[in-house]
Amino acid sequence: MIKLLHVEDDADIREIAQMALDLSGEFHVIQCCSGEEALAQVETYTPDVILLDMMMPGMTGRQTLEKMREKPAFAEIPAIFMTARAQHAEIEELLQIGAAEVISKPFDPMSLSYQIKQAMQKIR
Amino acid sequence: MILRNLRNSTAAAVAGGCGLATGFYAVSSMLLTGSSSTFIPALGAIALAGITPALILNNRKNRSVNQSYPEMAQRFEALNRHASINIVNEKDKLTEVNEKFLELTGYSRDELIGEPINILFGTSDQEVRQDIRRNLMLGKTWSGETPILCKDGSTVFTQSTIMPLFDKTGNWAGSISARTDITQTNKLIAERHTAQTLYELHDDIWIIDSETEKFSYMNRAAKARLHVGDEDYRGKSLGELNCEHDISGVLDACRALRKNGESSAQLETTFMGVPADVSIKFLPEAGGSARYLILFNDITDRIEQENRKSAFISNVSHELRSPMTSIKGAMGLLLSGSAGELPNKALSLLEIAHRNADRLVLIINDMLDLDKISSGQMEFDIKDIDLSELVLETDQANMMLQQRFGIKVELIGTDAPVNLRSDPNRIIQVLTNLLSNAYKFSKPNSRILINVQDETDHVRVSVNDEGPGIPLDEQHKIFDRFADMTNSDRKAKGGTGLGLNICRAIIENLGGTIGFETEEHVGSTFYFTLPKEPVKDIDIEVNGEKRVA
Repeated sequence: MIKLLHVEDDADIREIAQMALDLSGEFHVIQCCSGEEALAQVETYTPDVILLDMMMPGMTGRQTLEKMREKPAFAEIPAIFMTARAQHAEIEELLQIGAAEVISKPFDPMSLSYQIKQAMQKIR
Repeated sequence: MILRNLRNSTAAAVAGGCGLATGFYAVSSMLLTGSSSTFIPALGAIALAGITPALILNNRKNRSVNQSYPEMAQRFEALNRHASINIVNEKDKLTEVNEKFLELTGYSRDELIGEPINILFGTSDQEVRQDIRRNLMLGKTWSGETPILCKDGSTVFTQSTIMPLFDKTGNWAGSISARTDITQTNKLIAERHTAQTLYELHDDIWIIDSETEKFSYMNRAAKARLHVGDEDYRGKSLGELNCEHDISGVLDACRALRKNGESSAQLETTFMGVPADVSIKFLPEAGGSARYLILFNDITDRIEQENRKSAFISNVSHELRSPMTSIKGAMGLLLSGSAGELPNKALSLLEIAHRNADRLVLIINDMLDLDKISSGQMEFDIKDIDLSELVLETDQANMMLQQRFGIKVELIGTDAPVNLRSDPNRIIQVLTNLLSNAYKFSKPNSRILINVQDETDHVRVSVNDEGPGIPLDEQHKIFDRFADMTNSDRKAKGGTGLGLNICRAIIENLGGTIGFETEEHVGSTFYFTLPKEPVKDIDIEVNGEKRVA
């Protein structure tokens, strides 16, 4: 099972993503509703991949990743961003700070698990 | 009733004024003919009949009746030299005109005498004529501006004083008019107004000599911006006012106008830290050397407003994406059966909802793109690309559509790399749009042909379908926004009506061209060309107006 940490402030989107990933049967998903909660979570949990919403109240997805990356154990974990602001420059910027993939919202729930696995392979 | 009152009020004066009136008309008649030795029988008859200008009678009450004949003659001579004078009878027919009147109108005396005064008025002066007549009938003198139609068809503007005439029994007998040509005065006033308006305009105005490139005029706003007085700028060059470095683009545009023989140009620039819309007019030589009229319109407020609007559209569009993610995601999962089997009717309704949710997302994306195009903020990321690879990638990404519509796609020219420098994502956006249109309008089980041509300095990509073609009356608007709104198929096909407009903006911004060939009931070919090297400046067309981004 792939251990996935999903950080998303919108409860509906969390539920959709959970159901979509459950369909494949390959993911064990832990969900957090903010960057702060995610940082607390990773004190005791080390995922294989992180799925981060970009725009969140409080810490943004980018700030959350930067904080996580400060931990040596998290330096290499693939991070995938989800963003509604899928403008070209922003996508480029996220890829440059080490994002494995940037998935635009609205995403296709049927291909979400495939996209995540593809991104993980790309990093390896 | 009015006439009877007039008679009553003037009766006494008429009796006393007869002698004076006779003298007045004797003199006026001689003077009107331009000869003191010629006596006009008609006027003489009027005078002898005792017709009296009402005002003279009224004035007579306050003046000495013993004005001498030579004194009156001198006064009338002065009037005759100054003004154009005409007399009409009670039927509004001209009975006398002076030389100045003939000069003014271009007619000869023979052409005017006996003719209705109306021949000197245009058809648009009905109200003025009615007002004059109303006043005259009341025994009042009318003063005001009257346009006079000349023999050559031109119009002169006159300041006129028209005085009613009554015979010795107090009956209405016509009128006498004294007119001064004020056409030139009106022109001068208009010019003065224009000069004053230019001076007071909020925009900066410069007039620069095209030979020396030195200032000959600055309005108040321009002087304030450059902190100069009248004596500081006249005859000085931009360099002498330390603003040449700021304005080199404007000067280049001025020189280009002169060199190319063009009359006007428009550009956006920043001058002394202020964003400005600059209009340049080349004024050819007219009694001096040619000049440039340059108008700077400070667009700080407009840009701020546009930025606020763009930020609003951007925020709203992005905010819409979050609920759309949930809506589309939930429907996608339901359609996949992950929440259990659905009855066929429910499934069909859900497909409709899902399809329209897709359409809504397309509209949101297009709105964002359109806003970026309009505000000149569309981003382009130019890099080395292989067009063949992009075409193959786009084709692969649309494989779902091939299956959905049962269409076969054929590719030509994608076997070898086709290299160019351009924006790959924008090209994919255009290709996807053209391909999506081709799918939507193709007959089931027909074929789509994508052809990539590698030319010397450019590339050409065409997408050919076997669809219904575009009717002749729709062809001219195919690249307009919401162009196919009248096309009843649009909603069924799921288009937003913005796609081709955005494609055109993208291709033109990348320095290429876009077009189509079509034949009804046979099919359409949409194509675009792109230069192998990108253009230096990106011009963005907004509502027909070119802007430099």
